[in-house]
Amino acid sequence: MDKLMRNKKAIILFIAPALILFTAVLFVPVCKAVYYSFCNYKLPGNAKFLGFEGMKFLKNYKQLLTKDQTMRIAFRNSMFFMIFSIVTQLIFGLFLAALLTNIRKGRNLFKNIYYLPCVLSSAALGLLWMFVFTPRLGINQMLASLGKWGGDCTLGPQWLFNTEGYIILPIWVVSFVALWQYVGQSMMLYMAQISGISSDVYEASYIDGCSKKQSFFYITLPLIKPMVATAMSLNAIGSLKFFDLIYNMLPEGFLSHKADVIATHLYTSAFKFRKLGYGSAIGVILLILCLIMTVIINKFVKTENYDM
Amino acid sequence: MKMKKFLAVCLSAAMTLSMLTACGGSAAAPAAPAADAAATEEAAPADDAAEAEAPAEEASGDVQEITFMIWDDLEASEDLITKGYKDSVDRFNKDFEGKYHCTPITTNLEEYYDKLNALVAAGDTPDVFIASPGANLNDYATTGVAAKLDDYLAADGWKDTFTSDAVFAGGTYGDDGGDGPGIYAIPLNIAAACVFYNTEMFADAGAEVPKTFSELLDACQKLQDKGYTPITISAGTAWCLSMVAGYLCDRNGLNLQDIKDHKTDWKDEKVIQAGKQIQELSKYFQKTAAGDDNDVATAAFYNGDAAILIQGSWAIGQINGSCAEGFADKVGVFAFPAVDGSSADPNRVIAKSDSLCMSADTESPEAAIQLIKYFVDDTASKYTAEVGGKIPVTNVQYDEKVAPPELKYVMDVFKNASSTFGFYNESLADTEAGSTFDNCFVEIFKGQDPATALDPIQQYYEDNVW
Repeated sequence: MDKLMRNKKAIILFIAPALILFTAVLFVPVCKAVYYSFCNYKLPGNAKFLGFEGMKFLKNYKQLLTKDQTMRIAFRNSMFFMIFSIVTQLIFGLFLAALLTNIRKGRNLFKNIYYLPCVLSSAALGLLWMFVFTPRLGINQMLASLGKWGGDCTLGPQWLFNTEGYIILPIWVVSFVALWQYVGQSMMLYMAQISGISSDVYEASYIDGCSKKQSFFYITLPLIKPMVATAMSLNAIGSLKFFDLIYNMLPEGFLSHKADVIATHLYTSAFKFRKLGYGSAIGVILLILCLIMTVIINKFVKTENYDM
Repeated sequence: MKMKKFLAVCLSAAMTLSMLTACGGSAAAPAAPAADAAATEEAAPADDAAEAEAPAEEASGDVQEITFMIWDDLEASEDLITKGYKDSVDRFNKDFEGKYHCTPITTNLEEYYDKLNALVAAGDTPDVFIASPGANLNDYATTGVAAKLDDYLAADGWKDTFTSDAVFAGGTYGDDGGDGPGIYAIPLNIAAACVFYNTEMFADAGAEVPKTFSELLDACQKLQDKGYTPITISAGTAWCLSMVAGYLCDRNGLNLQDIKDHKTDWKDEKVIQAGKQIQELSKYFQKTAAGDDNDVATAAFYNGDAAILIQGSWAIGQINGSCAEGFADKVGVFAFPAVDGSSADPNRVIAKSDSLCMSADTESPEAAIQLIKYFVDDTASKYTAEVGGKIPVTNVQYDEKVAPPELKYVMDVFKNASSTFGFYNESLADTEAGSTFDNCFVEIFKGQDPATALDPIQQYYEDNVW
């Protein structure tokens, strides 16, 4: 094996498939998107470079960052969604992971139950939750049948249509649904890391008089820090480019872009209004934000490697 | 070891074979035997102009595949007009079996243009696609995506089968046409936006058919006092609300051309007045108007939960296709009322036509044109009127006794119309302007001051149009 790994031809042969695929599927489209973001490109026409004179090629970015009100709302919603996801998934994911690693009976059953929403189609779940929160159906109907609001379900909260407040109610609702859907993924990551911790470490701590709570905070948490950083990065990137539940659950027309996140704004600009150049600029901003968040998380969540 | 090698070879061979099978499977439908094709020709009705041209005997083995993209599910839809479109495709495929074959690409209305644009961007424009005249069609006709159809219309007197040249107005372009001045879309039928009402509820509440906006408010008040939901509408599907807004702007005397030419702007008193009237009218909307989408809102009328539905005459197809038996007999239709004190023409009607375009890049223009002809031949046009309840665009003789009764009312509204105009959100500078207009009126509906709520559309025109 060592001999093979020293053979340059073999190395190239092994790397080539992944490299070609990565270049064709990811690298080339990203480069093209960056180029299109400097173009006046509106469908069904062709891309036309805006030119270097007077920094015209930055026109889409200037428009996006200075004039676009929807982008401001989308940025605010995306940031809220990201912070909410990182915090709640860290807390609930860890809690569930700690809980499930400590139970003996039914561990696999509960693991599967919590993880199940992750493997279901987001489009289907979006429609399902939309029905749950629609005024005439779901929660409101159920509470009204129990006598709330004088039995009139239309008087209940407008879960998906209330547009008051800095962060509007529909964004809170979608955030909780996303937490329900993806907490199983965080739980699995933490469980994988926790199950890798040697039981000797815990036994030694118990001999030294450590309680279960103390062992969690002084042994489990420090030892799973690398996974916390990974899970936080994944959550941050996933929630920044979050699209499906927002698109499927919320009525686009009535909310007048107040529930837009960056990805839905990208979709609307590029495919509804056919401004591919402008949409590409939003995509580039999104990419930069994802990179920045990954760097920040990796910088601030200090991890040390222990031999477990 | 030998066994392992043998298994590896077998698996590789199976994988390669399956890949080859997958690649070669869908290139073309198998050629129909000549005997079958001849039988098909016999089966075609003789009185049909399009079908008479079907040269089924030329089944050569090379079936020309074409695609047709539409905004409804041809298989699952209960809409009678959609069922008629499906029938046209089926007849085309049957009559041209072995020569041409059409594969429909279907999607829901909300995502239709997004998906069509994605196909256009990918250089895979469907051979035939449906489009609404206005900003959407502009994008295809002025950029060379849609083909000019004048030569095809002139051949064999096809154009003479249409009621008048006026039906082509929405698809006719001047020098801005991608391939020069000409017709870029064939209309299939015309729908007029009218007010549908439940005659039983009106009679029970003692409400009269209103001629003016104040009379409409009076009628709504009477209906509400009687315990009925006066109007069902969707603010969740923004175009529904903006259709009413378009009518009110027009009835107040706004001329869209004046806005385009910047002779006036979106802060015009007539637009603000329309906004205030929307707010007055919204007191009579169903409580869940904010959250209901168009399907839910229209269902409230079809189920007898609301007295008034302001909708395009495509609703006739739905009323007769999916409503309980007997409901259609209770439905009456009237034109959108005039605004009291306004000097604007109260007889203008919002009209919309489903139109078909042919891709400029199609490799089978003859097949595409034949397909389009099947959508406006006598069989299809008769179906449009007698079953679908829409206004046909060809000189077809249809049986008025068989046609839905609502069609007669819509035809009366249409005959009395002095002129027509398009849906506002489809008639503005581009699709983004239309969407911005929709959003402004949603904000007005939610209670924002009309003068302030109109800021985004004013700003959009200042930045992009004027």
